[in-house]
Amino acid sequence: MRRMKAFALPGLIAGLALSTAAAAFPIKAGQGTYQDPGITDDTIKIGLFAPLSGPARAYGEDPLNAARMWYEMINEMGGIWGRKIELVIEDDRCTANDLVAAVKKLVEQDQVFMLNGGSCSAAAVAAQEYVLRNKVPYVMLNASGDGALYPPTDYIFGGISISQRAVGGIAVDFVVKHFNAKKIGYINHDDAYGAWNLETAEYMAKEHGVSLSVESINPNITDVTAPMLKIRAANPDVLILTTYARPAALILKRAHELGFKGPIVLTVTGTANLKQLVENVGTKDAFANFYVQDVINDSPDGPKQRWIIDMYKKRYPDLAAKPDHPTPYMPYGVASAQTVTHALMLAGPNPTRESVARILRTLTFESGVMAGMISFGENDRAGQESSIFLKFDGETQVLQPGVYTSRWTYKP
Amino acid sequence: MMGDWQVYWLFLQQGIASGLVTGSIYALLAIAIVIIFKTTDAPNFAAGEIFMAGAYIALYLLIFSQIAYVIAVPVTLAITFVFSALFYRIVLRRIGVSPAVAVNVVIATLGLSFVLKGIVRNTGFGDVPRSFPAVFGADTVQIGDAVLTTQDVAVFALALLAMAIFFVFFNYTRPGRAMRAVGMNPRAAALVGIDLHKTRMLIWGLSGLLSALAAILIAPKILMTADMGIVVILGFAAAIVGGFTSLPGAVVGGLIIGIVENLVGLFVSTRAIVVAPFIVIMLVLAIRPQGLFGGPVVIKKV
Repeated sequence: MRRMKAFALPGLIAGLALSTAAAAFPIKAGQGTYQDPGITDDTIKIGLFAPLSGPARAYGEDPLNAARMWYEMINEMGGIWGRKIELVIEDDRCTANDLVAAVKKLVEQDQVFMLNGGSCSAAAVAAQEYVLRNKVPYVMLNASGDGALYPPTDYIFGGISISQRAVGGIAVDFVVKHFNAKKIGYINHDDAYGAWNLETAEYMAKEHGVSLSVESINPNITDVTAPMLKIRAANPDVLILTTYARPAALILKRAHELGFKGPIVLTVTGTANLKQLVENVGTKDAFANFYVQDVINDSPDGPKQRWIIDMYKKRYPDLAAKPDHPTPYMPYGVASAQTVTHALMLAGPNPTRESVARILRTLTFESGVMAGMISFGENDRAGQESSIFLKFDGETQVLQPGVYTSRWTYKP
Repeated sequence: MMGDWQVYWLFLQQGIASGLVTGSIYALLAIAIVIIFKTTDAPNFAAGEIFMAGAYIALYLLIFSQIAYVIAVPVTLAITFVFSALFYRIVLRRIGVSPAVAVNVVIATLGLSFVLKGIVRNTGFGDVPRSFPAVFGADTVQIGDAVLTTQDVAVFALALLAMAIFFVFFNYTRPGRAMRAVGMNPRAAALVGIDLHKTRMLIWGLSGLLSALAAILIAPKILMTADMGIVVILGFAAAIVGGFTSLPGAVVGGLIIGIVENLVGLFVSTRAIVVAPFIVIMLVLAIRPQGLFGGPVVIKKV
């Protein structure tokens, strides 16, 4: 199927490409009645949601702020086809019940045109049945949401930050190319998240002809002696961790105590707060040979990320002054909002939910934010499948050369 | 390169050594659960959240109030003691006058668990996993082939010391004996002049104190989140294995659960670590329904 390529400009230019493009289409949208709710001659209503309270707030608050600042910028540039974006914001608390309730309210009560939200996969996946039944285009915020992406559907698009299936495959690709690893230790979770990333890790290990020693652990594990001891006994060239932050800290600590000296690569699942990770591990010595995965196009303080950080600081000066802000997940929100605005623009002056969903199914564009292109396809509803890696010594991050991509594809 | 048998021998030694450390914490929690159950005939489902709250109180005192360890720990223990005792005095004593006492107590403790978790989450401290400052360093100690940290050794030693103190308290002091009497036969205890409510209040206080002590000992190892109270499930498992009404049983049950968790993870699968305690429970209940140290089964109601 032919793919539409909207923009391929790097950095800031790419980031601002849409607004320029929107301004280049000064034609006023068609006047009259519209077959779908949430759209008028002057406005288009988008339901934006994320966990804004509760324990997972840190995952969603800043990506939502980032999405909002992108939409506000588009409005300042004249909107899309002359229509201003009207946001209706809801708190999904990262729970399935709250997220589905928020989606129902947005669709039925607020009558939004389309949905953009969700930072937690399990919660986002719970909205699948409702969204498909009502045929509302739904672009996830920063949830990977693999459960709703494979098999592909007509209305749900996610993995804008990265899909879990891509996470494992990319990590294997990196350690094989960067360390020439032949024997790889791999610790994942024994939940759906872990199963998804292991699926592609095994695929890429097979493709490279290397072996994986896998230990799957419960996310609530309190004593990681057993998995770490087994990994050490397997004597791998490198260890990949695809766990959440807390088990990752426990494993790093135990690996150091047990004298594991090989490189350790932590995927993006556990890198939300590296400063806290160092505090939790307790010693910088444990980071002597440590690498982290990131899904943006540069190190967080690198030149390619400058424009988005500056934009955030300008929009939210009070928030930016707080410690640990912007959060590492913040830029993902921009890429997600870009996906929505690109699709709306390409759908023309009289978009319908159906035409926007059709555009999304084959949309490809350079975000100027993420490591790889945002790209959907016939059997692919995960937007981003590339990442970079940084060496982290407990204090500074040094970008490693190359962008790594998972070559796993969904086979219907 | 080690041969298979050397690896298995290492696994066995490390599994037992690490299992004893975590098991000693489960044992403390099991004691906290058992002393409540013996005197109120209902499990305390807020035990996990009292454990969690204890850790956060200590963290607040140590990090945010910059209070020295030697003061922060006793203050934390005192706060949890008073809080738990007051929970009995204000809530459970009132509930005790209504029918269906056990069910109401269970619901009240569940309510307390939600309240405590909500409070910690609303402080903002519970949003990210946090480290708890350890008193002892991360230097390693070799025991056979097993490697433990000095913190591990200290956790085990302090947990055993706490258990020994409780043993002396329950067996050789007047309030301790009164507690045992209330646990065995409250009516007879009341007849000989023991104040049931005061004694139960003291038991709730001690249970809270034990939970907080366990939290302070284990927090540097497991990291703190608002959900860390889930560890108490393993305390319940230890209590069931031990017999639920037996204090020595709680200790042995805790150590068994800790060791089994590690050995199953090492010799079977790391995926099986979380189910291992429950398999032990099923095995123990199938072979010895009253638990390893429980007395004969008594049917109170028909």
